[in-house]
Amino acid sequence: MSRREGSLEDPQADSSISPLPHLESKIQQTHSLARLLTKYAEQLLQEYVQHQGDPFGLPGFSPPRLPVADLSAPAPGHAGLPVPERLRLDEAALAALPPLLDVVRRRQAELNPRALRLLRRLEDAARQARALGAAVEAVLAALGAETRGPRPEPNAIAAATVTAGVFPAKVLGLRVCGLYREWVSRTEADLGQLAPGGPA
Amino acid sequence: MMDISLCLKRPSRMGDSKRMRMTSNFQWLLLTVLLLYLMNQVNSQKRRTPRDLKCITNNLQVWDCSWRAPSGAGHGAAYEVCFENGSHSCYRLEKNVKIPALLPGDHEITINPLHDFGSFISKFTLNEKNVSFIPDVPEILDLSADFSTSTLHLKWNDKGSVFPHHSDVIWEIKVLRKKNMEIVKLVTHNTTLNGRDTIHHWSWTSDMPLECATHYVGIRCYIDDPQFSGRKEWSDWSPLKNISWSPDSQTKVFPQDRVLLVGSDITVCCVTQEEVLSAQIGSTYCPLIHLDGKNVAIKIRNISASESSGTNVVFSVEDNMFGTVIFAGYPPDIPQKLNCETYDLKEIICTWNPGRPTFLVGPRNTSYTLFESFSGKYVRFKRVELPTNESYQLFFQMLPNQEIYNFTLNARNPLGQSESTLLVNITEKVHPHIPTSIKVKDISSTAVTLSWHLPGSFAKIKLLCQIEINKTNSVHELRNVTMKGIENSSYLAAVDKLNPYTIYTFRIRCCTDPFWKWSKWSNEKQYLTTEAIPSKGPDTWREWSSDGKNLIIYWKPLPINEANGKILSYNVSCSSDEETQSLSEIPDPQHKAEIQLDKSDYIISVVAKNSVGSSPPSKIASMEIPNDDLKIEQAVGMGNGILLTWNYDPNVTCDYVIKWCNSSRSEPCLMDWKKVPSNSTETVIESDQFRPGVRYNFFVYGCRNQGYQLLRSIIGYVEELAPVVAPNFTVEDTSADSILVKWEEIPVEELRGFLRGYLFYFEKGERDTSKMRVLESGRSDIKVKNITDISQKTLRIADLQGKTSYHLVLRAYTDGGMGPEKSMFVVTKENSVALIIAILIPVAVAVIVGVVTSILCYRKREWETALLKHWK
Repeated sequence: MSRREGSLEDPQADSSISPLPHLESKIQQTHSLARLLTKYAEQLLQEYVQHQGDPFGLPGFSPPRLPVADLSAPAPGHAGLPVPERLRLDEAALAALPPLLDVVRRRQAELNPRALRLLRRLEDAARQARALGAAVEAVLAALGAETRGPRPEPNAIAAATVTAGVFPAKVLGLRVCGLYREWVSRTEADLGQLAPGGPA
Repeated sequence: MMDISLCLKRPSRMGDSKRMRMTSNFQWLLLTVLLLYLMNQVNSQKRRTPRDLKCITNNLQVWDCSWRAPSGAGHGAAYEVCFENGSHSCYRLEKNVKIPALLPGDHEITINPLHDFGSFISKFTLNEKNVSFIPDVPEILDLSADFSTSTLHLKWNDKGSVFPHHSDVIWEIKVLRKKNMEIVKLVTHNTTLNGRDTIHHWSWTSDMPLECATHYVGIRCYIDDPQFSGRKEWSDWSPLKNISWSPDSQTKVFPQDRVLLVGSDITVCCVTQEEVLSAQIGSTYCPLIHLDGKNVAIKIRNISASESSGTNVVFSVEDNMFGTVIFAGYPPDIPQKLNCETYDLKEIICTWNPGRPTFLVGPRNTSYTLFESFSGKYVRFKRVELPTNESYQLFFQMLPNQEIYNFTLNARNPLGQSESTLLVNITEKVHPHIPTSIKVKDISSTAVTLSWHLPGSFAKIKLLCQIEINKTNSVHELRNVTMKGIENSSYLAAVDKLNPYTIYTFRIRCCTDPFWKWSKWSNEKQYLTTEAIPSKGPDTWREWSSDGKNLIIYWKPLPINEANGKILSYNVSCSSDEETQSLSEIPDPQHKAEIQLDKSDYIISVVAKNSVGSSPPSKIASMEIPNDDLKIEQAVGMGNGILLTWNYDPNVTCDYVIKWCNSSRSEPCLMDWKKVPSNSTETVIESDQFRPGVRYNFFVYGCRNQGYQLLRSIIGYVEELAPVVAPNFTVEDTSADSILVKWEEIPVEELRGFLRGYLFYFEKGERDTSKMRVLESGRSDIKVKNITDISQKTLRIADLQGKTSYHLVLRAYTDGGMGPEKSMFVVTKENSVALIIAILIPVAVAVIVGVVTSILCYRKREWETALLKHWK
């Protein structure tokens, strides 16, 4: 366990050890999935902004980065953490995102019931975050790293993010979509550290 | 004003009358001094009596009277006040007196200062007209606020039980805003006092959210008692009550998520401890209106319809943003085109068009309720987001034994409501479902039974169904079937007058009686009717073989409507008085048979057979009826066919047969034949095999007792073309002034039409010089001869010059055009007589000139000799 962790902390140093083919394949697949979802997350964010009306999406509009229950943006020091730790944080964030995305989708269903593409993207995003989280968890398990502890109840997360007004709800939705993009992108980068041919 | 009369409490002091009667001057002076003294005394007495009696009332039952105390009266001076009001009443009191309201009219009141010997008694005349009616200050019972609607609710008691009469009351209410108490509303509110204490309510909706600033409310009143004749005045203002907002941590901008009518004005404020830097609606920045503290507001006028997610209003502070969303839209339009009908008399479906878009969606979208007044039942429209131009629908379960329904469709959204009504007899509004499960069953080869399923409870009404019958290459036919509606939804109808062995396509639609709407057409059901025996024998013809020994019998396949099934085989028999020859079971598609026969009269019989049976026989005699009077005629067609006519022949009893073939084919020549009825005198022969420029032979036969006689023989073209070759021609003879030309006939295949003549051109010309020139009849140096006698095969060209080269051209033409040309060059022979004449004429002229000259010379010499003789 510790040997593997050590090797993940410094993938370059581990180049003499041949990883198992199925692990390589799993990492590769998960990395590809993360890359694809990064693109989708960007599209979701753009689509979301498009449907909230001005001044959302206008240059200079920067609403406060509201705190979101059980989820924060990747810390500035994230990249300096050991890779398994990073992946554990990624996986925890990906597990926290689906209920938040569900809350956003429900609110958008009331505000933009005819924006079917946005609603579908939000629904897909929740499912895709779950899938990527599971894939990262599987990679962690294959690496022999510990996975995270008990997950918070989705309902508790959703309840904690209920906002009173429509405007705060729009801002929260923007924040959640932004967090989704950041964490998926972060996961892609972290998996890139492990993927064959990835940066050292 | 009160009339005041004064009298002295003590007796007046008399002057010394004795001294008054002193000297007048002194008297006047004395009188003046005395008068001044008396006036001073009077004024002094006035000052020493109670004065300026004033009475007011605040309940019309008690008058509160007060007066100015005499000068010098100490504090706590007591008075005795007496007045007449039916009885004499006196009160002892200090400064003012509350007396019961006096009856209308003047009342004398005396006020006697007690214990003050220097004061005088005052008498006043008091009338109700001199009394002021000033109501008590109203008391606000409660001031509350509905912050969600920015509405203030005021509650107060009119204390009507105090007042003896019914009176009109005017309440004046003022609303003030902010700490500097700007009056934002001053309004009057009318009520009536009815002898009881009554609680009154007044509500006011602020144009600015109540959270934005403190609001204060005060009230006063004016009671207009019709029986009180005194002066009526406003009460004093009540103490102000206020409403203010206790800021919470979350909401900073007000109003939150307000739904507004498009075109409205709205004030939005931000309640904050931080300095607001800017405010914007959508992308437009708005000027700030400063309120108490750091609170600010913006005024939005004539707001436009919002997009789906609303219009954002955002206030920016240094490191944060606060916002709200406004939903500007319209109240629901009156539901349009409300229509209720039923598919099955079990359920009513009502549809409508929402009309003008409200621009409100989600929870703010229009909700619809369909209410039926006779039953009291209603259904609600489940919110779905439909495109704005799409119609809405609601289902209402039909009630047993109820046919008349009175529907009210109510539309409601946060901005208002509207409704549309419809009274409908549902049995007259049946739009049946599409018939399904179409099945076909045979009755016979010409009749079937159609069955179908039509869901619905139609037991009490009649159905009209329409059956569409389609047959290949035929016009579709509609048949109506009326039937009694049934409960189990299965219906049957017989369809007759069909053709055997024919593919039919059936489909069905139904309506109810009275008619409302047709159902949609059912799916098509294809069905092949069963076979029947062929209705006719085949169309038959016969030809003798070229050697005349065999009779070739031809017949045509039966058309489908006569075959009545699949033709399997044919039977052919030839019968004479002596014998019968038969050829059986000639399989289809063979349509020709050859039988060796002598030249006796035979009757040929052809029968077609299908799986059900045999057709009636077609009969034709083997021998033709001779016709000696036969001429060959010509005919030209119309491109795609040729019209043949003949005279009516009463002897023709069966029919006419026109047979045709290509004229270049060898015998027996038969391309096809056509039968036409015996009463016809013309027919157009058309065939895909006809080609333009090809000569065909047509033979018209008339039928008598199964025997045929050739009536006309016609050669013809469906279309004539120009000849493809020029006639071959040769020069038979030439002379010095003529050429004899001879040509050959053009073969029929190359002629391609009836020959109408030849054109012959000639001109002088050498082979080398004129070979490139085109001979055209328009040129003056070209001579043309049109030979229209097509039997002519030679031509002599006369009046030519001898020993001259001529260019000759010949071409043939038909009505289809001019054929190609063929040419040659011919040189005429030399002319000998002309040569001789050409030699002789100059010789003769020379001789004549010589003779004449000789004569003249001789005559001259004779004349000169005679002249000399004379001179001499």
